[in-house]
Amino acid sequence: MLRSAIAILLVSLSIGICRAETQTPIRFGLTAVIVQEHLRFLDRWAHYLSNKMDRPVKFVRRKSYREVMDLLEAGQLDFAWICGFPFVQPRDPEFLELLAVPVYKGKPLYNSYIIVPEDSPYKTLDDLKGKVFAFSDPESNSGFLYPQFLLAKKGAKPQHFFRQTFFTYNHAETVEAVADHVADGGAVDSYIWDYLQSLRPEVTAKTRIIRKSPAFGFPPLVSSKRTDAKVVEQMKSVLLAMSKEPTGRQFLDGFKLDTFGDFPPELFDGIGQMANDTRKALLWLASAQDRAPSETNRK
Amino acid sequence: MTFSLARKWRLSLSVKFALAITLVVAGVAFTIGAVIVVQDWRRFHAELEEKVLLLARSVAVTAPEAILRNDYWSLYRSLKKLAEPETGDIRATRIVTAMVLGPDRRVLAHLQPKEHPLRLPLEPGNEDEARLLEAATSARSPAVLGGGGVGTEGYLEGIIPLYSDEKLLGVVRVRVSTYELLLKARYSALLVLGLTVGLVILGSLLGAVISRRMVKPLTAITRGLEAVRHGKLMDVSAVSVQQDDELGRLAASFNEMAAELAEKKELEEQIAVSEKLVSLGRISAGVAHEVNNPLAGLLNCIDTIKKHPEDRELMERYLPVLDKGLNRIKNIVQGLLVELRVEDAREESGLACLEDLRGIVEAEINGRPIHLVWENNLDDRIRVNSRQVQQVVFNLLKNAVQVLPEGGTVAFRSFQDGNCVVLEVDDDGPGIPPEHRSQLFDPFFTTKPNGTGLGLWIVYRLVESMRGVIEIESEVGAGTQFLVTLPATDARV
Repeated sequence: MLRSAIAILLVSLSIGICRAETQTPIRFGLTAVIVQEHLRFLDRWAHYLSNKMDRPVKFVRRKSYREVMDLLEAGQLDFAWICGFPFVQPRDPEFLELLAVPVYKGKPLYNSYIIVPEDSPYKTLDDLKGKVFAFSDPESNSGFLYPQFLLAKKGAKPQHFFRQTFFTYNHAETVEAVADHVADGGAVDSYIWDYLQSLRPEVTAKTRIIRKSPAFGFPPLVSSKRTDAKVVEQMKSVLLAMSKEPTGRQFLDGFKLDTFGDFPPELFDGIGQMANDTRKALLWLASAQDRAPSETNRK
Repeated sequence: MTFSLARKWRLSLSVKFALAITLVVAGVAFTIGAVIVVQDWRRFHAELEEKVLLLARSVAVTAPEAILRNDYWSLYRSLKKLAEPETGDIRATRIVTAMVLGPDRRVLAHLQPKEHPLRLPLEPGNEDEARLLEAATSARSPAVLGGGGVGTEGYLEGIIPLYSDEKLLGVVRVRVSTYELLLKARYSALLVLGLTVGLVILGSLLGAVISRRMVKPLTAITRGLEAVRHGKLMDVSAVSVQQDDELGRLAASFNEMAAELAEKKELEEQIAVSEKLVSLGRISAGVAHEVNNPLAGLLNCIDTIKKHPEDRELMERYLPVLDKGLNRIKNIVQGLLVELRVEDAREESGLACLEDLRGIVEAEINGRPIHLVWENNLDDRIRVNSRQVQQVVFNLLKNAVQVLPEGGTVAFRSFQDGNCVVLEVDDDGPGIPPEHRSQLFDPFFTTKPNGTGLGLWIVYRLVESMRGVIEIESEVGAGTQFLVTLPATDARV
């Protein structure tokens, strides 16, 4: 009796796999908003999603946000987990739709941390003037926009304020760069920093948070407008239902997230506002430089 | 194995042989070991040079691209990956430092970012560093530089200048510790030392075994020869012959020689015994003859007297004959006994007794015109068997006096020569004819009409019993010299 039940299960599984292989995969873009280095964990999650979607789900990884955004625009991706800053960028025509927002520590929010090496004397962003600063990604909210916003409010551009800046294209590596003293300061995603603190506490212990930003909308999961509405609907329900069943719960635990939630795009208005303010400030700074070129030259 | 210098030269052959083998093995093993260690060091060094260049090259592959894109994080990560030992792989090479510098000597990436911040000129810590920095930034092709000595501080630095379209972008410097070389060389040196010690122990054991086998028969032969020298031929046991080589043949011929010598000695002893018997027989025959001759005459006289008991004239004629014959027998018996008597007298005394002889000899001369020379130069403290010496000297002097013609000279001289007493009796008499010389010391050999033939025989026996030597020099018509040499105990000592 038991044996025949297993046989039936195996048969149905193999049929499922065969069918899944014959279909075109769902392409899911991933960015540095999550720790991408846990390949086996992500493979298992892809397998989980494939089972739920009855279609193979394939994760596509790229180094920068820009590359993922370009793929989305080109229609090469059905879904992607991106950052709030690229999401609020004006697009014409719009090719994205908000799919789900992760809920972290009870809220769909996170912060940006300005960190310095633990044994450094720096206490404020001003102390980092003339130092080396590490950004995560030029289209990262927490890793680039927020520190740029802070500097713009002071009337400074990063390339002038700091002696040297560089991009790590990875929040976790920004923490590493600061911990190793390669950079005297860096801007990182609070979710990634917290995640690292529980995973590799010896790295985060070498850094010190000197500033926490206000809360922003958590890096969202988006769908391409070209993706079949049914598939989008199915993916949404699969993601939202993850917290309600044990296997899905395991993956959420692995991400250290509470759940995926359905939130309105207005959640990211704060980021949009900050992006606007920064852009305006930089424009003003550029024109001020044009007006007084001799002054900057003397600098 | 510590020997004093004096004993060093008295080491037995087996020890010398084992030592020589040990020395040779040690020398060879040590030389080969030293060569191996030196070769190892050179090979390790060459390998490390290659390795450090390879490491620098691995950075240099991606560096120009990163430099052009200002991707300092990638540059740093490539250095860091280089220095991080892969899990499970115990890489012996320790990277001391690594860096990418711009043409202006500014730091583009450094393995110690805290000490050498990004985009600031590299500050050389000391003169050595400044020299290396100069060399590195002026290098136009890959190079390996060294420094820091041989110990824990020693290093090799691989330098690769970075070019893109013939424009110098910077230089990659990777520095590895040469301490591992030292450790490796030390390890191989220890290994070689261990092997050397092992080989030396093996060699000395082998040497001991070989030398034992070689020297054993030699030792046995030496012992045998010593026994032969001391005359203990019966103690010579045969040397075992184990091999059919030179030593085996030596042992075999020694055994043959020892056996022949033993046989010879046995024969000699047998001859000596039979000679004794012969001389005993001769003495007995002599005694019988010498005693029998007068006895016959005496018995004849007694018979005649018995037949004519009243004849006074006969009595007066025969009594001196009887007296003379009996005295002769008495002399012979006394002469035979004198040896026993004198031999028994073991008293040792000074040589003052020789002076007593002078009077007796003068009495023997009995007023004849014979000149006596007397030179006694012996110290009275020298101890000899005086009775025997007296007898020897008296017999010799008496003989001389008897053979000397009128006007002859007899001389007695005595002196000390080392541990010996030399007694010399010299005469200028007629000498001893050569045909008599071999019989001179035989009992009952005499040339005198009334001699017993026992005088020189007694001298000979006494000198022999005192372990002395008697020598004769004689020339017919010129004289005879008797030279007696006796061992003496010196009372002064």
